[in-house]
Amino acid sequence: MTKKRDYKAMLSELGPFIGLIFVFVLFAALTPSAFTSFYNIKTILTQSVIIGIAAYGTTFIIVSEGIDLSVGSQIALTTVIVAAVLNLPASDPGLFYPLLALAAGVLACTGVGAFNGFIITKFRIVPFIVTLGSMQIVRGVAKWIGKEQTVPTPDNWLTNLMLIDPSPSWLIFGPGVWLTLVLLIVSAVLLKYTVLGRYTFAIGSNEQTARLCGIKVDRMKIVIYALGGLLTGVAGVMQYSYLTVGDPTTAVGLELDIIAAVVIGGGSLSGGEGSVVGSIVGALIMAVLRNGSNMLGLPNYVQEIIIGSIIVGAVLIDQQKHRLRAAG
Amino acid sequence: MLPAEPGVRIIAEHVSLRANAVISYRSFSVSHTLRRLVLLALIPIVWGCGSSSSEGSGEDGAASSLEIAVVPKGTTHEFWKAIHAGAEKAAAEFGVEVIWQGPQKEDDRQLQIQVVQNLISRGVDAIVLAPLDSRSMARPVEAAVARGIPVVVIDSGLESDAQSSFIASNNYEGGRIGGQYLAESIGGKGKVVLLRYQEGSASTTNRERGFLDALNEYAPDAELLIDNMYAGATMAKALQVSQNILNRFPEIDAIFTPNESATQGMLRALETSGRAGDVMLVGFDVNQILLDAMRDGTLHGLVVQDPVGMGYEGVKAAVAIVEGETIPERMDTRTILVTPFNIDDPEIQELLHPDFDRWLDN
Repeated sequence: MTKKRDYKAMLSELGPFIGLIFVFVLFAALTPSAFTSFYNIKTILTQSVIIGIAAYGTTFIIVSEGIDLSVGSQIALTTVIVAAVLNLPASDPGLFYPLLALAAGVLACTGVGAFNGFIITKFRIVPFIVTLGSMQIVRGVAKWIGKEQTVPTPDNWLTNLMLIDPSPSWLIFGPGVWLTLVLLIVSAVLLKYTVLGRYTFAIGSNEQTARLCGIKVDRMKIVIYALGGLLTGVAGVMQYSYLTVGDPTTAVGLELDIIAAVVIGGGSLSGGEGSVVGSIVGALIMAVLRNGSNMLGLPNYVQEIIIGSIIVGAVLIDQQKHRLRAAG
Repeated sequence: MLPAEPGVRIIAEHVSLRANAVISYRSFSVSHTLRRLVLLALIPIVWGCGSSSSEGSGEDGAASSLEIAVVPKGTTHEFWKAIHAGAEKAAAEFGVEVIWQGPQKEDDRQLQIQVVQNLISRGVDAIVLAPLDSRSMARPVEAAVARGIPVVVIDSGLESDAQSSFIASNNYEGGRIGGQYLAESIGGKGKVVLLRYQEGSASTTNRERGFLDALNEYAPDAELLIDNMYAGATMAKALQVSQNILNRFPEIDAIFTPNESATQGMLRALETSGRAGDVMLVGFDVNQILLDAMRDGTLHGLVVQDPVGMGYEGVKAAVAIVEGETIPERMDTRTILVTPFNIDDPEIQELLHPDFDRWLDN
């Protein structure tokens, strides 16, 4: 009995991986050899960086039974702030100004995250509404800073982060891909093996119990949203690197892609479940699907239907998990 | 403010919105069995797609022909359909395959970058690109050229030296034609509004400049009420901005709008405020709604381009480069003024109603 349950539970844990392997093998079989070429793999990885890094942060938030709809706006804000800082010096931005721009962008998003967390806990408003509001506010601020235009920037090293063929070629992958990997390890350890992570699960599983156990739930939530903002800020810097301009209208609706990545990766919107590794796998599944569909020449409506089906499928698996748990 | 910031919409719908590079191309180079497998897998998901895939698969013999990718700024405007028709016309003439892929929204820089990256990965023979941002598309174009894929830029400029050629309407001249017609129509004086399109779009910025220069030249006494408002990428946004402008200025004699969505948004705003026909409206680009408006007397002039010619010349140039010929760095395609007076001329009619059915399926 227990053996069977373990087996099933393991299967659902591995679900996202199996899904990723399945779509990859499917497209590898169907498309010209270009799909499995190393260059295309690098392309897919690079195209997963922004959603992936932001999804790490959103994983923490979703595990704590929260949600952040302002992520797309935060990414736009970061690109604009980065561009604004890069335009500060009159001449070549050198090494220092890009660093300052990076710090400013990440800090701004951390601030937005902390603000979201503060309003949610202080005034007991549901996260959906608070972040729906901050989505608009942050978008507005981005447009304000950008003077409602895209902000061109001088050439600088930040724009090399998202190259598919990195400039010192021994790197093999662009710096953005490596950063995604490093942050994957950091976030996964943080969520799984630290007090912060344990508390996040505790709050998401049962907030009342967590409170009774002496967890300072409000303070923790602010930290969780700020951490989400921090990672979103990093994703925003990557978005800037991708676009090479500050764009206040970019990433509209991207938060829903990010939430989808977390959900496909096993995150539950009712809290208490989710993993950072699952989320990056979710992001990769979507990137493979899009890239593969482009390669195969599938009409866009087929892509939409497939990705939509996968989201519903992932939620079905999630439900199944709950049933198994309830039965056990 | 835009109420359209999508927050509450369903996740699935949104994700799919970002998923769409719009695609139509003819030949899969996969075996029959595999193709059948795809169809079997997809039929339960969507019935209609099966037939279009098999129809599109075409002859296997075409596999050896050149693959020329054509990447528009968007796919929802009639203008891009005409570019597509021109590209297919050239494809038929030169015996090459056209792969048509682009972002759905004309402000989705990220998706256009991804489409170009995926085409590089796919290893097409050449790319014909209408960049929707003159800066952010420079990197992907340079990446393509670095991997031996020549790029022909059409419609809008690119801030890069990597592309082989730039083929576009003379947008400045087009703006001037519209400006001169507007200035002369209002008798050289009156209150004029310029609704701009979007910052960072080189083609429309040049039209706006041409319009302003012509206005200064032919109507130096005209009063320019406003020239710093942007219509944005969609008609819905243009409509809102236009309504705000119309509310702000109760007296306007003439309005110039530099692209299709801005023109349509302004036209609709004039209609909703009951001022259509009272205010002279000169637009840029064309669709059926705008032509109907011209017949109804609510739209008074349209500067039109020759997108069929642009798509055709783009693919033609790409083929020439792949075959080792040298082509000019810059080529102009036509801009022509359509007014209620010349709309029925055969030459204008052919420009306005290209024979889509002949070149595009479905």
